[in-house]
Order: sequence, then structure tokens, then C-alpha cells
Amino acid sequence: MWRLNKVRHKAGRQGDSLEELRLKRREHEKALRQARRDRQLVSKRLLLTEDEEQSEVTMDTTSGEQDVVSLFHKLQHSGPEREAHLKALSKALRDPSAQLTFIKQENSMHLLVGLLTGSDAQCRLQAVQCLHKLSHSPHTNVAPACLPATPYLLTYLSGQSTKFTELCLYTLGNLCPDSDAVKEKLLAQGIIPALASCIENQRYNLAVVEAVGFTLSQLLQAKDAAEKIIPMVLASSLPSSLLSVLTPDPKFGLAPAIECAWCLHYLACSEYSRELLAHGALLQCSSLLLSLGGAVAEGNREEGLELLVCPLLRCVGNLLSICPVDSLSSQVGDVRLVVSLCALLQTYIHTQPALARETAWVLNNLTAHSSAVCSALLTLSLVPGLIQLLPFSQGINTMVLRVLANIAHKKKEFCVQLARLGLLSTLCATLKMADQEMVTLSLEVLFVLLVSRPQVADEFVRQGGVSLLEAIQYNSEGEMRQRAAYLLEHHLLSYPSDCTADNIPCS
Amino acid sequence: MYLQDLYTSEVDDKPTLSVSEFACHISGCSAVFSALEEYEHHYNSLHRHVCCSCRRSLPSARLLDIHIQEWHDSLFTILAQRQDMYQCLVEGCGQKFRTSKHRKDHLIRIHKYPPDFRFDKTKKDKGIRETKRLQQKDTNMEVVDDVCESEGVCEVMCGVLSDQPEQGESMETHVSEEEAACMAKPAATEEHAGLSAAVHGNECSSTETLKPRYSYRVPSTVCFGHGSIRGFRGRRGRRK
Repeated sequence: MWRLNKVRHKAGRQGDSLEELRLKRREHEKALRQARRDRQLVSKRLLLTEDEEQSEVTMDTTSGEQDVVSLFHKLQHSGPEREAHLKALSKALRDPSAQLTFIKQENSMHLLVGLLTGSDAQCRLQAVQCLHKLSHSPHTNVAPACLPATPYLLTYLSGQSTKFTELCLYTLGNLCPDSDAVKEKLLAQGIIPALASCIENQRYNLAVVEAVGFTLSQLLQAKDAAEKIIPMVLASSLPSSLLSVLTPDPKFGLAPAIECAWCLHYLACSEYSRELLAHGALLQCSSLLLSLGGAVAEGNREEGLELLVCPLLRCVGNLLSICPVDSLSSQVGDVRLVVSLCALLQTYIHTQPALARETAWVLNNLTAHSSAVCSALLTLSLVPGLIQLLPFSQGINTMVLRVLANIAHKKKEFCVQLARLGLLSTLCATLKMADQEMVTLSLEVLFVLLVSRPQVADEFVRQGGVSLLEAIQYNSEGEMRQRAAYLLEHHLLSYPSDCTADNIPCS
Repeated sequence: MYLQDLYTSEVDDKPTLSVSEFACHISGCSAVFSALEEYEHHYNSLHRHVCCSCRRSLPSARLLDIHIQEWHDSLFTILAQRQDMYQCLVEGCGQKFRTSKHRKDHLIRIHKYPPDFRFDKTKKDKGIRETKRLQQKDTNMEVVDDVCESEGVCEVMCGVLSDQPEQGESMETHVSEEEAACMAKPAATEEHAGLSAAVHGNECSSTETLKPRYSYRVPSTVCFGHGSIRGFRGRRGRRK
């Protein structure tokens, strides 16, 4: 085969080889892009001891590789220096090329596993440190080399040593994304029941809880997680354990809650999210969001708070979309959640627009089927704040307009209130926007408002809305033209087309 | 040069650590620590889930329960003749098997466990392993596959962590303490305490009789017969 290609290359026309080159380059770029994407999606954690954090990896690669080989030879003899050698090995294994060198040594993993399960506790600890460094490797062929250690790492998850358990967990979590073969094996070896009992038994050990959350989230992010992993996780005690550690501990910090919230998010956006509802996830997440929003409104600018808010918002939003309408009120709980959401919206509008958009999305899902929520928005004077957000772009204004549309659709009284709060004049501004989606939504909202009460139509005309609609009749979108025409004919018909704010006949 | 410095600097470091060292209080364990965290880890790893009958250390409460049931419970042995009693070691699996061999096959086939999983020793290996333990402790062949059985957690029983040539003598003292400890326990250990004592007794007397020992002091030209081939083969493999 290769010879044919070679011959063809030499004998081929100039155009052909150019085309081949182009094709090859395209394939290469595609592979690069995919690799870049995978690298960004695959996240690994490296747990460093205090002295490791302080000292940098200063040795160059060649001496690092030699160190690894010589340390490996030294480790094959038992003796009191073994622990020190292991420590040195662990330090050397921070270097990626040293990692490759190590796994290429014959019986290196076997030695490490022997030390991991041996009778010296300190050697066990250092051995797991070495494995942890290996698991953090950017090379994808290192993870499969670590497979002989995984049944022991999983067995040790039910142990009591905090630091050791943490390292086992982060090592397992780092190994998950590298290859499907590794994931298959871990699942077969019972990683999910092991994680479930670990988090249950160590619920008060927040460092371990954080580590379990990380490892579980690595599993749940797999491409084929929905087929095998998610059903197994939902069937275990993990959902209730995750929910029980969701409230952050003020002394320890947000990290465990953040990891668990992300796990819940991956579960909530799967096709089996209904089972999460049964565990009371929506209630739990909304009440936590309520208190977080309250904290933010009071000026709490704790670092990383948005890292917890983000997965919670997504959870609540997704669960709301599948929640049956009749159980909505019991699942959401306190309707003053809207206060928190609006506070979050105002806080993030400038600093984190993407997060602001997601907050608005949750509001949209909340208001979609619940009159109580819409009424709360009005009575708690949150609407003016929302109306002010309509000029903003980046998808926020369309979402906010949807929220207002939801409110308007519920009751005619709501429409009147909305009009009184200045929605009409804002619509006059949004109808002129370049964003087609905004114009479409504005026409919809306008329609609902106009049919609610005649006074609303009056007010709209008074504000010069007719000329705006007429302008839309020149819009490039056919549907838009039709809608504008419809509104003019059917709801503003009684008024002559050239009427202005000054000479409207009194009705 | 760099490696030499690495070694010597560690040797230099050692004396500065001995300000306030303390030892493990478990009888028979000679481990020493300079920090509480070290001690906690040592205790949690090696002394927490210990079988009081045979002093074996298991990594978790669940594996300890299974061990006690399968090794020291006569009722289990009787029931096992008629029904599936051997539990799968993987938590959450729940399956039971008629023999430990069946269970091992299940672990390998279904759960992709290695065939030499160290926390699934069959009972009949016990006697052989205990005699081997003393011999193979201070070898540099521990990495060879089938020798790894000796590198089990049962070694913590006697707390012999360094390769002292006088292992024979220290073993005896530990044995007597443990024998006393075992005898004192009211649990169903009658025959096993006696058995383990007998085995220990055999071992300690073996220092006089000629028994194969894989010690670094043995000249490389000596061959002890069947079992030693492994050792020599492993030794050759270590040359890099």
C-alpha cells in the first residue's frame, strides 16, 4: 500500500499532490482542534503537599528521567530508605516526560502496587502520591498503565485515613477522562457503589466530600454517561448524599458544595432528571439559591460564589422545565425566590453577563406556568428593575422580555399593571431594535397588552406606537410585516393612520 | 553528582527529625513517628481493621467482616457446604458463590480484578504463606508476580519492618506476646490460636534446620531446588 502511495506521489500531477497536501493539512488541523477541545474539557486536579507547593520543579527533563530510572532501581531493595526514595520519586514524577519513562520501565507499576498494599503505612502514602502524579499526566497512555492499581484504590475508599482517601479519590478522578477502557474497568470494579458509601460514611469530612464530588463529576461528564453511568448513579444513594451536603459550610468554604452542585447539574440535564425531582432536588436547590441570592443582595462578595450559583441555576432551570405544573408550587417552595433571582440578575449584569442570562432563563421557566410567581414579581416591585434591563444585549433582553410576556399572558390585570409600570413606552423602544427576535417578542407582548383593556390601546397610540408599527410594515421579514399589519387593522383600527399624540379623539 | 547529593542530603536530614518521636502502642508493632498525622495514618491503615483471631489487618470493615466469616466462623463452613455463602468483594454487587474459587473467577471475569488481588487470599494458602513470610521478607525479589503473595498485609502482625538478620529471635518474642493476646480473647479462636502458635513455633525452630531462605546473604551459586527458581529468575530480570 505504502509503495503505491509513494509511486503515486512521485508520478502524480502537481494539482493532485497539492490537493492531498491540503486534505492532509485539513485533517491535521481538525485533529489539533479536537485535541485542544478535549484538553480544555478534560480537567484534572493535582493535590500537592505543602513542601511540594513551595518547591518548583527545577530539574530539566533529561536529569528527571534519569532520576526516575535510578530511583526505580533503588526501590527494588527493601530497607528504611524506601520511604525517602518514594518521596523523591513522587517529586520526580511531576515532570511529564519522567512519567512516561517510569511507566516504560518493566514491572514499575507492579512495584508501585506492591508498595501501595504493603505493610508500611508511610510507603503506602508515598506510593499513592506517585500514582497521583502519574494520573495527572497529560499523556493519554499513562492512565491505562495505572490500571493495576485501581482495585486497590477503590478498596481503600472505605478506609479512614483522610489524606490517603483524598489522594485515592483525586487519582481515580484524574484517570476517568483519559480513555474509555479505563472508565469501563472502573465501572466494572464498582466505582459508583464505592463512591456512594464513601460519601455516606465521610459526610462530615468535607475534604473527602469535595474529592468524591470531583471524581463523580468526572464520571458524569463522559460522553456516554447517559447510557450506563447516570442510571447507576441515580439508583444509588448518591443523589440524596449530594443534596445533603449542598449547603456550604462557612468555615470550610464552598468547594464541596460546588463539586456536588455540578454533579447534580449533570444529572439534572440528563433524560432521567425526573428521578432527581423525586429526591426533592428542586426544593433543595431553590431554597439554597434563595439564601445565596439574599447574601449577594446584602453585599456578600465571597470569592467563588458564582461558581456555586452557576450549577444551581442550571439545576433549577432544568428541573423546572420538566416539573409537572400541578406540583410546581410544592416543589419550588418559597416564591420569594424571585427576589433572590432578580438580585443575582442585577449583580451579574455587568460582571458576568452569561450568568445574568442564565438567571433570566430560570426566571422565565419559573414564570412560565405559575401565576403565583408572576403575581409575586409584581407585588414585590421587581418589574421596573426588569424593564430597565431591556436595552441590554447578549441575549439578556430577549430572555427578560419573555419573562414579561409570561406575566402578561397570565391575567388581564397583570397587563394593566405592566402598562402602568412603563412597559408600553419601553416596547416603543424595543420595536425599533435591530435584533429581529426582540422585535418579534415585542409584537407578541404588544398583542397581549392591546387585547387586555382598551385603555392600553389608547395609551399605546398616545405614545406614538402606530407609526412604529407602520415602519415595521417595511421590515424584511414577511411574518413581521403580517403581524404589524394585523395589529394595526384589528386593534388600532378605530384610529386614523396619521394620528399623532396631539389629536386623538377622546374615546 | 546530583543523585549523590540527593542521597547524602537525606542522610543528613534524618538526625534533625528525632526531637519528639513516639512509637505505636500496639504490641508487636515497632513503628515510630514524628508527627501525629503520620501516626493516625499508620493506625488507620494497619491497626484499625484487625482480625483478633489471626491478627491480619484488612483495609476496611467490610473486608474484615468477610474475612472473619470465611476464616474463623465454623457455622459459615457448615452452611457453605449447602448454599452459596461466599460474597462478592465488590460493594454493591451482592452476589454469592459456593466456593472462593467461584468468587475469584467472578471477580476476574465480571469486575476485571487482577488474579493476584491481595485482599482475597484463600484459606488454604494461609499455612504456606506463613512459612514463606519469614524467608522472603528481606529479599529484593519481591516484585516477581507469584512472590507477591508474601507481601501481604499480614506482615503487620509482627511489626517487622526492617531487614534485620536476627529476625528469628525477634519473631519469638512477638509470637509469645501475641499468643497471650490471642488466648485472652474469648471469641471463637480456640483451634486457630493453637494452630497459629504451632506454625510460629515451627518457623522459629526452622532457623536451626536447613530451610530455603531467599536472603541476600545467600551466595548466588547455591540452588535450593524447586521453589528457588523463581527467585533466581527474578534476580536476573532486575539487571538493567
